[in-house]
Amino acid sequence: MSAESLILFFIVGAFLVGVAVLFSSYVPPKSSNPQKFEPYECGIPTEGLTWLQFNVGYYMFSIIYLVFDVETIFLFPWAEVMKETGMRGFIEIVIFFFILGVGLLYAWKKGALKWE
Amino acid sequence: MFEGIPLTWFLILATIMFFIGIYGFLIRKNLITILMSLELVLNSVNINFVAFNKLLYPEHLEGMFFTVFVVAVAAAEASVAIAIIINIYRRLDKIDVENIDEMKY
Amino acid sequence: MLIMRHELLLVAILVILLLVEIFLPEKHKHRIIPLAIILMGVVTALGFIPGPTGSLFGGMYSTSNLVLIMKNILNIGTLVIFIQSAEWLKKDENREKISEYFIVLLSSLIGMFYMISSGDFLMFYLGLELATIPVAAAAAFERFKEKSAEAGVKLIFMSALSSGILLYGISMIYGTIGTMYFQDVAPKFTGSSLQVIAFIFFFAGMAFKISLVPFHLWAADVYEGAPINVTSYLSVVSKGAAVFILMILLYTVFTKIALMWRDVVYIIAILTMTVGNLFAMRQRNIKRFLAFSSISQAGFILLGIIGQSQLGMTTVIYFVLIYLFSNLGAFGVATAISNKTGKETIDDYDGFYRTNPLLSLAMMLSLFSLAGIPPLAGFFGKFFLFTAAAKQGLFILIVIAVLNTIISLYYYLLVIKAMFLNKSDQPIAYFKSDFYTRLGLLICSAGIIIIGFASPIYEWILQLSHGLIY
Repeated sequence: MSAESLILFFIVGAFLVGVAVLFSSYVPPKSSNPQKFEPYECGIPTEGLTWLQFNVGYYMFSIIYLVFDVETIFLFPWAEVMKETGMRGFIEIVIFFFILGVGLLYAWKKGALKWE
Repeated sequence: MFEGIPLTWFLILATIMFFIGIYGFLIRKNLITILMSLELVLNSVNINFVAFNKLLYPEHLEGMFFTVFVVAVAAAEASVAIAIIINIYRRLDKIDVENIDEMKY
Repeated sequence: MLIMRHELLLVAILVILLLVEIFLPEKHKHRIIPLAIILMGVVTALGFIPGPTGSLFGGMYSTSNLVLIMKNILNIGTLVIFIQSAEWLKKDENREKISEYFIVLLSSLIGMFYMISSGDFLMFYLGLELATIPVAAAAAFERFKEKSAEAGVKLIFMSALSSGILLYGISMIYGTIGTMYFQDVAPKFTGSSLQVIAFIFFFAGMAFKISLVPFHLWAADVYEGAPINVTSYLSVVSKGAAVFILMILLYTVFTKIALMWRDVVYIIAILTMTVGNLFAMRQRNIKRFLAFSSISQAGFILLGIIGQSQLGMTTVIYFVLIYLFSNLGAFGVATAISNKTGKETIDDYDGFYRTNPLLSLAMMLSLFSLAGIPPLAGFFGKFFLFTAAAKQGLFILIVIAVLNTIISLYYYLLVIKAMFLNKSDQPIAYFKSDFYTRLGLLICSAGIIIIGFASPIYEWILQLSHGLIY
């Protein structure tokens, strides 16, 4: 795809969306009542504010999840060349996992995996 | 997928993102938002690396690898930063920049 | 494998400490302190054994004898800091986190080692991040103090921002040259405007890390808020490692645009010395005071870097070694006082000599060495730095540096005057310092005196730095 076609794509896209929005705002019949402005029009009324605070415990889990999740990014390049690197690559990835495992063990031992 | 898009466009995008990040770092009040601005800075660098690698030097994958490592390091950085921010929240019940001003000149 | 022995030894003791922390029952936790100090001492001693040098991973990692000296210097610094922090770690509120402290600092040290022996920008970046992120955790170590968390958050945000700026510079260098290996990058520098911008970004990022003026504003707050041992780690070991890698990169990678970076370093050196000194004068908190004095010392180090020769390199390493002992000595006394009494302002030191003569003598020795009073090591360090700059004919810079030395003498003497001459109604009462504090101060004082008189050390570094600059 060349740059010109990309520009064309954006113009056509914006045009189509604009037409759809205009069409739907002029054509259909309108009615308005308080219930229409509820987040869930046909459900139970919502309670409290949306800016409620999450328990700190979620953050604890998210931190640990974040760290261990991103480490998989290193597995993909290895998996891609697994056949070529052979045993050596396998041992290296096992060492990598060992270090991660010690980290997880440490987090476990420190009680970071417990829900408080 | 990228064919035909000139390198300059990627660089302009990355530069804009970089400076949005710096701007956010300077003016934002909430610590988490500042952290997000920092991620913008790092990701703009990632765009740079990938674009250079793909369009200028496709024979080696150095830029791609750099990006992978930058992502991993950014995650580590974010988790340490969030841990410290949680600590501040526990002490102060707020995570705005104005509240952490105990030390000044 | 043996080429990487410094790093592998540190990783080994790191894993040992981690496993000990996991499996040791709670009531024996205090035994980790001597264990960690002994292990670190063994590693430091082993580091001096000569061994093979060379490069690994296709040039991503390389060492030379000079790099090994730098690593040994950083090892010594960390060992002294471990010894000094023993007393602080024994406090009740820190009991749970003893091994974390060691683990965090050790992983940061490993990062520094990889950083200074990196052979390409990727390894350099990874080392840099591994060196800074754990220190932020260490700065926020005292969970129950607001200041500590504040220091931690300031440190991690500033270091993340600076590494973002630095990375942007690296990406530009990659874009113009197409490789990241230092060996391949160096000859291809043409000095095109994009590369100059890249260098400016890169240098700004590094200047943040070394806290050079005008990128120094985070330093004082972080130094004040962090626990005092982490402060001394930041101002000695972190700064030393960053100076080393900046010097290596300027001499090897950016050697083609040397004419340009010399101007940049010239201006930054003057600014750093002067501004650091002027701010140091008005500080009343001892940690902030030492923070600003270390900023101005970094300005003096740039004087050696600008020398851009074998001599310059030698003098910088030599100066960092001396600075390490002097600054750690001063921090050691401040730590001892802070641990026993919780007092951290200079006014509290009034009449300290009458109650604790030995500690105040050690403080005096360190401060005189920092100021550069002749028989002590600090004088020789500064003298050699001036010589290196003089070889390049930078006489205006030297005059400014000498003026700054005189200014710095004034504020170092203020502290000494407070301890020895000022009278106080309630001086700090006599206290008996424990074994670890004494050992740490003994090492520092011995270092200050011995290095000043023993020229073989200087000769040795000079001899090893042959042929490193290409």
